[in-house]
Amino acid sequence: MKPPESLAQTEKSTEGKLPVASPESVRRYVVTLLRRNRGIFFALVGLNAVAAAASIVGPQVLGSIVEKIGQGADNAYVNKVALIFLVALLVQTVFTRWARIRGAVLGESILADLREDFLTRVVALPPGVVERAGTGDLVTRTTTDVDRLSWAVRLAVPEIAIALVTATLVFAALIFTAPILALSWLFAVPVIGVVTRWYFKRAPYAYRHEMSSYAAVNSGIAETVDAGRTVEAYRLGDARVRRTDNAIKRWISWERYTLYLRTIFFPSIEISYVLPLAAVLGLGGWLYIDGQVSLAQVTAAVLYTQMLIEPVDIILMWYDELQVGQASMARLIGVHDVPDPVTDGTHEPQSSDLHVNDVRYGYREGRDVLHGVSMDIEPGDRVAIVGPSGAGKSTLGRLLAGLHAPRTGTIDMGGVTLATMPTEKVRRHVALVTQEHHVFIGTLRDNLLLARPDSSDTQLWEALGSVDAAEWAQTLPQGLLTELGTGRHKLTSAQAQQLALARLVLADPHTLVLDEATSLLDPRAARHLEQSLAAVLEGRTVIAIAHRLMTAHDAKRVVVVEDGKITESGSHDELVTAGGAYAALWRSWRDED
Amino acid sequence: MLLDNLPHSDPGDPVLTTPGRFLLWIGRQQKKLLALGVIWGVVWMVGQALIPGALGAGIQAISDEDEAKALRWAGVVLVLGVVQAGAGLVRHRYAVANWVTAGTRVQQLLIRRATHLGADLPKQVATGEVVAASANDVERIGNALDILPRMVGAIIAFFVVAAILIASNATLGLIVLVGVPLLSLAVAPLVRPLERREREQRIHLGLTQELAADTVAGLRVLRGIGGEDLFLARFQAESKKVQAAAVRTAHIRALLDAMQVFLPGLFVVIVTWLGARLALQGELTVGQLVAFYGYTAFLVLPLRTVTEAAHKFTAARVAAARVITVMTLERMFDEGSEATAPPPTSTAGEITDPQTGLVVAPGQLTAIVTNDPDASEVLIDRLGRYRESNVSLDGTLVEDLPLLTVRERVLVQDKDPMILSGAAEDLFDIPRTGRIAVADALASASALDVVDALPDGLATDLPERGRSLSGGQRQRLALARSLVADPEVLILDEPTSAVDAHTEARIGLGLRDARSGRTTVVFTTSPLLLEHVDVVAFLKDGRIQATGQHRQLLRENADYRRTVTRGEDE
Repeated sequence: MKPPESLAQTEKSTEGKLPVASPESVRRYVVTLLRRNRGIFFALVGLNAVAAAASIVGPQVLGSIVEKIGQGADNAYVNKVALIFLVALLVQTVFTRWARIRGAVLGESILADLREDFLTRVVALPPGVVERAGTGDLVTRTTTDVDRLSWAVRLAVPEIAIALVTATLVFAALIFTAPILALSWLFAVPVIGVVTRWYFKRAPYAYRHEMSSYAAVNSGIAETVDAGRTVEAYRLGDARVRRTDNAIKRWISWERYTLYLRTIFFPSIEISYVLPLAAVLGLGGWLYIDGQVSLAQVTAAVLYTQMLIEPVDIILMWYDELQVGQASMARLIGVHDVPDPVTDGTHEPQSSDLHVNDVRYGYREGRDVLHGVSMDIEPGDRVAIVGPSGAGKSTLGRLLAGLHAPRTGTIDMGGVTLATMPTEKVRRHVALVTQEHHVFIGTLRDNLLLARPDSSDTQLWEALGSVDAAEWAQTLPQGLLTELGTGRHKLTSAQAQQLALARLVLADPHTLVLDEATSLLDPRAARHLEQSLAAVLEGRTVIAIAHRLMTAHDAKRVVVVEDGKITESGSHDELVTAGGAYAALWRSWRDED
Repeated sequence: MLLDNLPHSDPGDPVLTTPGRFLLWIGRQQKKLLALGVIWGVVWMVGQALIPGALGAGIQAISDEDEAKALRWAGVVLVLGVVQAGAGLVRHRYAVANWVTAGTRVQQLLIRRATHLGADLPKQVATGEVVAASANDVERIGNALDILPRMVGAIIAFFVVAAILIASNATLGLIVLVGVPLLSLAVAPLVRPLERREREQRIHLGLTQELAADTVAGLRVLRGIGGEDLFLARFQAESKKVQAAAVRTAHIRALLDAMQVFLPGLFVVIVTWLGARLALQGELTVGQLVAFYGYTAFLVLPLRTVTEAAHKFTAARVAAARVITVMTLERMFDEGSEATAPPPTSTAGEITDPQTGLVVAPGQLTAIVTNDPDASEVLIDRLGRYRESNVSLDGTLVEDLPLLTVRERVLVQDKDPMILSGAAEDLFDIPRTGRIAVADALASASALDVVDALPDGLATDLPERGRSLSGGQRQRLALARSLVADPEVLILDEPTSAVDAHTEARIGLGLRDARSGRTTVVFTTSPLLLEHVDVVAFLKDGRIQATGQHRQLLRENADYRRTVTRGEDE
């Protein structure tokens, strides 16, 4: 059976996607984790070893009873060995419990570290990377992969660890009891070896796809919920249902393929377990009759061989889950492989002037969006960037905010190249507010404080006031303490946009890039907001990417971007007098008055 | 072949009264698969159960120094092993089939409910809640169906072994038969506290995941303006709570695990001890003693399977409860039904709203101008019947019309319309009249250049929310989508707010053209758009203050002038 068509082939490009860690990095990471917890780890191995050692007493006891019965043992002897057996069991019980608890403590601490490390890294990702990769993939990693890894760490890892210890000890006991009978495992090892190789050569690829196709089903459902209103308005319900059903179909085809792999793997393995068992019995019988081994040895060897099956089986079966966990882990620690741009925090911009020098930039190789843009922005400037949709205005805005580094050319702020400054430093100087807004789960206060954690409530209210938001904020059920975000109090999109601007006021950088930042407000409110903002932002540089001509009219300088180039630049009056494209547009708008 | 019939053509109509009943219902839907799973589970378990007997007989033969017999029993062990392996495989295949069949059913139920709830769903539950239901809970429900056949096999194998034991020695046999269920019961008191702690753990886990997902979703904001530490600290605090809760759970689970070692182990000790004494008295052969040891050791497996099953059923019940929560959400208002609805008197698309005094003439392009965004949002929701509404459509109250009919006749395009992920051309895969071709709609919405800029044109995959596009590009694609739908009444909320002036003027013309003969209401204050509409209604203080031509209103109404010129005259 061939694997189903890979979904990866239909993915057009991996450019901009977040990296997945290589198996070596995963291994290195695991080793680091274990090293960090070396003490508990060895204690765990010890505890499990004691438990396993206690478990191998049983076959010895039975072997000797079987042997001694023929040789006239009495009840006292039977009582004595039974007592030994009982003590061994008690030891096994106590140590099992102890080992499991210590194991869980270690596992949970590793899991907590992992998910916290992950999010710590994620919130420090270069903004340009987030911008390109989108947040969807990150959300999946945050939820699904963390969940799967937890499963592996909580169950697969301890099971395998215990099984490894047990198998080692039982096999050692077998060799110790009857080395010659231990040779029976030679029947099993080659079969296990070949089948395991065959299986695990195909399995990771297949399970990865099974997993991603399963994730696709869920993300489809999530998107449907998220876009509930759109789905309802356009009567997309049936289409969404069909889409989910198709996603399920793709997932099932992978599910079927992995089932095929197990159809080969499982019976081969199980048969290979019986081979040594039958061999020990056959060979043991022959050797006993030949006088080379005792009945106690044969009995114990048979029981040990049977005892070995379980741990070996556990290792092979949970190996699956371990691989699933490993794949999730690769995706989680993959974010650590995102290269941080080489930055240099030593230079502090001497002023807030911006120099853009022959900047070219594109999101895809060989497809530049900006074709040689140069401009100078003085401190306190009010610049409006206008131009048709898709001309590269937003891209220019992102570059000015230091989100992306130009492909060629430079953007300097106060004598320091923007691209070499760390994000945390850049944003103290320049901030970008786009049309896309996010209201975080948390109180209104939390939603504002993120911009300036040490603000007082008075400052928060002032910020809200400066974006015309104080009025509605006062009517919220619990004022600043009102819980916002998904599933809590819902803000209108206009309110959310005001919230975003209030954050900006609190953050108070000297340069602001506003990309359609007021587009969700109605125009009159937008203009009022822009004017009250302007009062607060006195002396700050404001670069507004504008699609409304009034914004341009209010600006000190208008820059017209067309097709990735600056075609006109000057004050509103200058451009109108010059009679270029801007003037034409302005007239078509004004003439209707 | 297995799994060939998935996804289900119809996931059915579930029983949602209690989690237990819901799980039973799921099971009933796949009776045949479960039955086959049970049969093979029994063959597999019993095959396994018989091996100790064969081993005992082998040891006996060796002890009797009967080489031929010993070899024969070695052969029997081999055959039993092979049978067990084959049955084990078939059993596994049915287990997977049962898991997947139940899982897909739940997923299909969830998506159907989600699409039914539509606009109301995000208002009632967080997306994370539904994602958790569709991802984690589906797995847990699947696990319950996966283990059910194995559990039945375990119970039957137990009785087979018991019968063999009683046949060899009545006393020992009875001890095993009575003892093992008692041991299973001994574990039961631990299950409930474990269940409770697991529930606590899941609540913390859910909150942690929600916070993490929310932080990641707002990452652009955090990276752009700061506050990472604030949110990270909050997440870490929650994460520590999960850790503590998980360790608390682990304490009980460790006790359960230890009991699973101790109780059956104790049994093996007792049986070995009694068996050895019986053997000394000559009432039991050496071979039987070895077999007894093997049987009692084997009984660990059914015992463990039963407790594992108890565990998984518990988890499945918690999961089922969450699924039921989503499945029993209702629409926030009565949907009405086809039967009670009066037949449409006409389908001209005339709208009247007594509350604001708005009257929209059929077949016209009407603009509504207001400076109060909240008022426009409310009016739009009332016109589109997304809230309580006394708006009439062609003389019938929209509240009296079935919701489906309203959705079919009236399309509301939101201020921030959602572009769903998938190929760009899939955007137009919506219920439509066919009157407007996609290419024409794209031209009318000035969106041809948006498509041209996509690497593979309409075949290009767009990410969720159309993130790879600019706001203006998204708006134009969304407008084209609405034009393709070609509803009787189209309501557009600021459809060109992110579009540059030049394009906006073109869209004004295109819109007029594409919507000729149909009722269109556009909420806007852009003069470039207002210039092209048939009539403008000016909404202020909750009432329509004036109606007329754009230029006429500009001349005659100072309030209106201020609104559309954005206070330029102030």
